Amino acid sequence: MSLAPSAAPSPAPVVRDDLSGPFFDASAEGRLLLRYSPSSGEWSEPAAMVCSLTQAADLEWREASGRGSLVSWTVKPGRPRDDQPAVDTVIGIVETEEGPWLTLLLPEVTDRSVLRVGASVVVGFVQPEGSEHLPVGRLVG
Amino acid sequence: MTAAIAGLGMTEMGKIYGRTPTQLAVEAISRAAEDAGLGLADIDGLYVNPGVKNDTDLRLQSSLQMRHTRLLATIQGFGSSAGQMVQYAAMAIDAGMAEVVACVYADAPLKEGKRAGAAYPGQARAMEGVGSLPFAAGLKAAPERYAVAARRHMETYGTTSEQLGAVAVAARQWAAMNPAAQMREPMTLEDHQSSRMIADPLRLLDCCLVSNGAVAIIVTSAERAATLRQPPVHVWGWGQGHPGYVNRRDSEFGLVTGAAQSGADALSMAGVGVEEIGVRELYDCFTYTTLITLEDYGFCAKGEGGEFVASGAIAPGGSHPTNTGGGELSSFYMWGMTPLSEAVIQARGQGGERQVADHDLVMVSGNGGVLDFHSTLILSPHPKTR
Repeated sequence: MSLAPSAAPSPAPVVRDDLSGPFFDASAEGRLLLRYSPSSGEWSEPAAMVCSLTQAADLEWREASGRGSLVSWTVKPGRPRDDQPAVDTVIGIVETEEGPWLTLLLPEVTDRSVLRVGASVVVGFVQPEGSEHLPVGRLVG
Repeated sequence: MTAAIAGLGMTEMGKIYGRTPTQLAVEAISRAAEDAGLGLADIDGLYVNPGVKNDTDLRLQSSLQMRHTRLLATIQGFGSSAGQMVQYAAMAIDAGMAEVVACVYADAPLKEGKRAGAAYPGQARAMEGVGSLPFAAGLKAAPERYAVAARRHMETYGTTSEQLGAVAVAARQWAAMNPAAQMREPMTLEDHQSSRMIADPLRLLDCCLVSNGAVAIIVTSAERAATLRQPPVHVWGWGQGHPGYVNRRDSEFGLVTGAAQSGADALSMAGVGVEEIGVRELYDCFTYTTLITLEDYGFCAKGEGGEFVASGAIAPGGSHPTNTGGGELSSFYMWGMTPLSEAVIQARGQGGERQVADHDLVMVSGNGGVLDFHSTLILSPHPKTR
């Protein structure tokens, strides 16, 4: 018997706005875009409006490696519903290789002992109903 | 700067229903004026800090039937607002803009029959665009957002849940001596450890008591305050620090807060060393907030907050009395007015059973957002001499 899809935690749906088209076009293809400042050579988080280091206004979308490491996390206890066991929600702060931090749902973590600072994370994508493809984190190694 | 706090007014706190924040604000200001020995007609300046429900504002002037207001604004610095209002009031008085400034916080997030968590559903935000990705991932309400901060501190410095529990137990010990506190029954570390997990590592007893109510203070010149009913509480120094936390590899989120800058500035303005502070009234929305503020103000070394609080230093009888009214954890949550109101009581020497003997200098913190915004005050029963 397979696990009911509803049992796995999923991000809440997000739709695109005027600025996020390129990000979500790429996420649908399994690619992570971050913001990059050619003048500083530094990367910034997807929502940044100016460079996170120099505050320069020359940010452009650029593909990131999709790899990072865990900085911190929390676990929100789930509540049992309709004979389904409670499913905890694990949320991580992930530092991408390029430098920016992302807040990512870690939907596959069931054993908390894997949660440690520096744990390797690979960004994957899921598509909740009514949503763009959204990044999630998968602990590897 | 020669301003002083001359009046304090507080409504009933907690699960009080049927009154709007504006009604609560009017009651608190009326009580504060009476406390100072003034009438509402003496007030010529008003700062209003609306809480999470955001349903009182500078139109409170009309509710108070004020006609000759010379200074009026809504101040919104979240948990740092109370300290900010005192700072702006002191400057306005010094500049001759107003003589008697009322500063008020009022909120009524609790609804009868609803859980406290329903009062703070998280940041209301359209789930649109990349800015909503953290929210979509589940980082919504205050507990889980402070939880990742606390977790980082624990992983970096070895801080433990039991040490966070020591903060909760100390607050409860103080609350037992405060007739106005909501939670006065004894609490043990075991009670803390067995309370349900809200957002790991934060348990129920790591969280503050969301409350309905209002608190107002009256700020005036030191000269005028000396002629009024209550012992003046002089404002010696202040600071603000708003780190804002950029989400990138050099972020100090969870490890250092705006208290570091804000506290240093306040101590410098006051001309005092942190070792001279007798009483600490610290914003304690969560146990972790008390712990890291103690570190950032310099009461213990960075990373040693856990051992410091577990030593009993902040509890009654300890070397560093802190949150002597029970704080937001065990007394009531009125944003920055919780620590400020207890600071006024302690500075005046009116703490009764919980009065701290050495109350010549009281340090007050205000923290807002998720450690994004910070204000500090240093208060004293003595006129500023340095």
